[in-house]
Amino acid sequence: MSELNLTDNKFIQFHQKIGFKFDGVKYYGYKGDTIASALLRNNIKLIGRSFKYHRPRGFYTCGIEEPNALVQIISEYSEPNTRATIKKIYEGMEIESQNRWPTLETDIGSINNIFSPVFPAGFYYKTFMGPHKNFWKKIYEPIIRKAAGLGKPPKEFKAVSTHLHHNVDITIVGGGLNGLIAAKSLIDTKFSVLLIDFDDQLGGILNNSNKVQSVNNQTPMDWISETVKEIENSKNIKLLRNTLVTTYNYINHLIAVEDKFVGSRPLKGKVNSTLHKIRTDQVILSNGHIERFLSFQNNDLPGIMLCSSFEKYMCRYGVIPSKETVIFSNNSNSESLVFSLIKKGFKPKAYIDSRSGENIEPDLFDLIRKNDIPLYTNSQIKGAFGSKKLQKILVEDSSGGVNEIKTDFLCLSGGINPDVHLFTQSKGLLDWDEKDLTYKPAQAFQPTITLGSASGQFDFNAITNEINEKLDVFGIKPVEINLKLNTSHKFKIEKLWEVLPQKQTIWSKSFIDLQNDVTTKDIRQAISEGFDRIEHLKRYTTNSMGTDQGKISSINALGIVSDLLDKKVSEVGTTIYRPPYAPLSFAAIAGRNSYEYYDPERKSPIHNWHISNGAVFEDVGQWKRPWYFPINKNETMDEAVQRESKNVRENAGVLDGSTLGKIEIKGKDALAFMNLIYTNSFSKMKPGSSRYALMLGEDGMVKDDGIICKISDEHFIATTTTGGAATVLGCMEEYAQTEWPNLNVYMNSITEQYATFNISGPKTRNIIEKVFPEVNFSNEAFPFMTFQFHEYEDTPIRILRASFTGEMGYEIYVPSNQALKIWEKIINFGKEFGLKPYGTESMHLLRAEKGYIIVGQDTDGSITPLDLGLDWMIGKSKKDFLGKRSLIRSDTIRKDRKQLVGILPINKNDRLEEGQHIILDKEIKTPMPMLGHITSCYQSPTLGYNFALAVIKNGQSLIGTKAFASTPELKTIEVEIVEPIFYDKENTKLAS
Amino acid sequence: MLIIDCPYCGPRDQSEFSNGGEAHVKRPDGSADIGDREWGEYVFIRANPKGIFYERWVHSHGCRKWFNCVRDTSTDEILKIYKIDEERPKLDSFKNNVKTPSGEPNLGSGNFTVKK
Repeated sequence: MSELNLTDNKFIQFHQKIGFKFDGVKYYGYKGDTIASALLRNNIKLIGRSFKYHRPRGFYTCGIEEPNALVQIISEYSEPNTRATIKKIYEGMEIESQNRWPTLETDIGSINNIFSPVFPAGFYYKTFMGPHKNFWKKIYEPIIRKAAGLGKPPKEFKAVSTHLHHNVDITIVGGGLNGLIAAKSLIDTKFSVLLIDFDDQLGGILNNSNKVQSVNNQTPMDWISETVKEIENSKNIKLLRNTLVTTYNYINHLIAVEDKFVGSRPLKGKVNSTLHKIRTDQVILSNGHIERFLSFQNNDLPGIMLCSSFEKYMCRYGVIPSKETVIFSNNSNSESLVFSLIKKGFKPKAYIDSRSGENIEPDLFDLIRKNDIPLYTNSQIKGAFGSKKLQKILVEDSSGGVNEIKTDFLCLSGGINPDVHLFTQSKGLLDWDEKDLTYKPAQAFQPTITLGSASGQFDFNAITNEINEKLDVFGIKPVEINLKLNTSHKFKIEKLWEVLPQKQTIWSKSFIDLQNDVTTKDIRQAISEGFDRIEHLKRYTTNSMGTDQGKISSINALGIVSDLLDKKVSEVGTTIYRPPYAPLSFAAIAGRNSYEYYDPERKSPIHNWHISNGAVFEDVGQWKRPWYFPINKNETMDEAVQRESKNVRENAGVLDGSTLGKIEIKGKDALAFMNLIYTNSFSKMKPGSSRYALMLGEDGMVKDDGIICKISDEHFIATTTTGGAATVLGCMEEYAQTEWPNLNVYMNSITEQYATFNISGPKTRNIIEKVFPEVNFSNEAFPFMTFQFHEYEDTPIRILRASFTGEMGYEIYVPSNQALKIWEKIINFGKEFGLKPYGTESMHLLRAEKGYIIVGQDTDGSITPLDLGLDWMIGKSKKDFLGKRSLIRSDTIRKDRKQLVGILPINKNDRLEEGQHIILDKEIKTPMPMLGHITSCYQSPTLGYNFALAVIKNGQSLIGTKAFASTPELKTIEVEIVEPIFYDKENTKLAS
Repeated sequence: MLIIDCPYCGPRDQSEFSNGGEAHVKRPDGSADIGDREWGEYVFIRANPKGIFYERWVHSHGCRKWFNCVRDTSTDEILKIYKIDEERPKLDSFKNNVKTPSGEPNLGSGNFTVKK
């Protein structure tokens, strides 16, 4: 076991053994271990296969920047692409490696590595062009998708997440050394503060390395626990652990996701993650830095790791990935690894530094000399070699000689980058630092403060000054931090991006992006092909894409490109950093807006009656409406609709129309307002009468229709289409407030306050007289298109005589909480007259027979009232209404506009379909001029054959002529263009 | 996500509001005397400037009230919010307080480095 003495490690609970499975084999780790640290404890160094070439890969880092070690968590709904370097283990966890078949050790796909010379950058764009355009979609893409890639998408999605909002004065991102000092200085101030850290342990670099010996004369551990305790006990600071800030939006709006089950199996039905939406006046970014790697031949072999990650495995997890590692560096960040190894009684097999001896830190130099560590200054690693793991490296020393060193492990450091991802998301600007060779935050765009290494401030001795200077805006007491270090306080680096291989062959690979298998050769090729702008280069080569977004390598790519183009890195620029910082699950984003809560379901007040009477429902907007009522399991929808429709024509039917939008309009100027909103004129209407009305957009197109009931000049009730209710109310509000604020008028939705039942059919009067015996329903007392208020057993009721079926009919409006009583009454009294409920499909059929349109089905936002033949509904004497002027626009008075007509098949056995095109020729040839299309089509139980409504060019003048309907099989059906009315053309039934 | 200071309810999250496009577009009355061009411009043409923009918002998931707003479209900074019946604030009373974040880089499609 690669273990250190665990007794002095406070992060790992070594008395608590945890069993987990990796690729079917059981291993043990300890509580506190990540998958990576537990596997390294078991000497597992091969964790996955790479994206494109299926090369063996190991753990490259010890944190969120990991490009390689992605695994599938089988025990959590098969969650793919989980970073093994941060995911904590728990008892019974099942993990699988990704992108390999049949096993991780023997992966057939690794043949790609041998064929790799034929997969250069842009390979897919160049190669899979022919022989036929369908080849890409049908053959190439499915094969490539199978061979390349990361984890498999989970089959089910059951994770539960919730959203939480915060409004605070200051948000501190990152609870490392600087974050903790900042938070501590804000204790008991007037500010409300949120301190967020991604880890379950605060302290950052103090936990992960031996750089700092003491803080204010306390050991780092003591200082952290004391500080955290103070913060936890404070009244004004809230601490969020295990929470990753993924997004930094405009107006200091942060999004962070909290893992609620770190180191334990997520419980079914419990919230797995919380998405925090944070509004804050000030953001303090103290989220640290990320170490970068170096490019040389085979720099991807398992057994190669970043220096600071190696040290983190030792300090944080009490595991040493190798007892005899070689170290290769070009900067001072490797010093503390050497110190940590020697402190624990180990020493590196060799220390290789690309810097010359005099540029290496004196303390480091002494340490190496004192411990007899082989030292190579001015030297570089030319390549790493081995099969499935590192076996040897080639080192070019200062004299130019090449030495071979046998080793199973290599630690790398290519420099450090401030973690500027969030800073640039906030639109802050970066500046290239020629001395530290990295991009650093320069100008904040929002109220953002950066502290410590996140601000590019790599000098430990400058921490106190920086904090006091930058937090001065809060008017708090200056802090005094006294740090004692084990290593030098300053950061020094010498430029090195890539070491060229000893012998260049077509198979030699120096990686620049480990996750996407991009090599430095690909970068060269892309530039030689003209992709020399960094954004183009990124997309052409896929460099720094993927789940890690090139966190350890993107700056190296800029360095290599700048050398190739002979430009400064600042001239090359960076690609844009976009949210999220690291992948977050869709479950977290969706929160509670999933499954049945995705969209509200609206139900009629008598919804339960429909269920117990076997209704089949359809979705209309957010509403659930009965579609049809089958009498038994065997009855099809077609049969049910024919039966229901026939029954309405012969006896009577009742429809639950409660979902229709209802708007009440009141005010001294209600009449003037209604005259402006609708096309019709309501001035001469008598109180107690009603009218079918159209609402247009300002472009003159039909937007909605409904029946308007006039109670008085100061009081109207309008109905709208089911789906258009909110839009119509919104439109009324908009015009009342913004265009005609001088009008005294108010409106509100009463859709849910009233249920609506539509009874229609020749026997309607017999039934309704029984239900409401005190009301006189004779033609004289209750004519068509009038309404009356009545009371029924203390229930106020409005009865409107109107019809959407073409039969005589009444609509009953009743308060929702009494709706069921009235509905059941109607059903019971109607039985003897053959009354049956009918659904929306029969309603559609019956209205189409009568030629009544449905807005949104027979119209599509490009149809005027004139196109529908509804000229009579336009109040021509009115000076103004919505869209009036548009009815005489050059486009709306065009002769060849599409107009509503009826369509009948010549052969009565032919079936038409909605969406079919109407054409003039029997033969179909391309290009085929089309007149228009069928908008509604039904089989009429009354006529005994198919009929349709259609909108076709110049339709009104084509009535009486023959045409053809095209079918998808390129056949044609002979049809006749007729008036858009098929039933009771004389309108005798409505007023009977 | 903006924070919008509804003149009736106070500061609220953008998700409670709907944008109503350009403000102070006068609706001609619908009579036939209005020329095709004038009417067509009212119905179809709206300004879409980069910079200071007068626009309408409605607190649709709140008080349902419409109000006007002056916003810098290049920075998303809200410069003023005023009620629908208040006078339109003069353009020269606003300065671009925040530098444009896009900075119009001369390199690449996006480049957040400080321009020299």
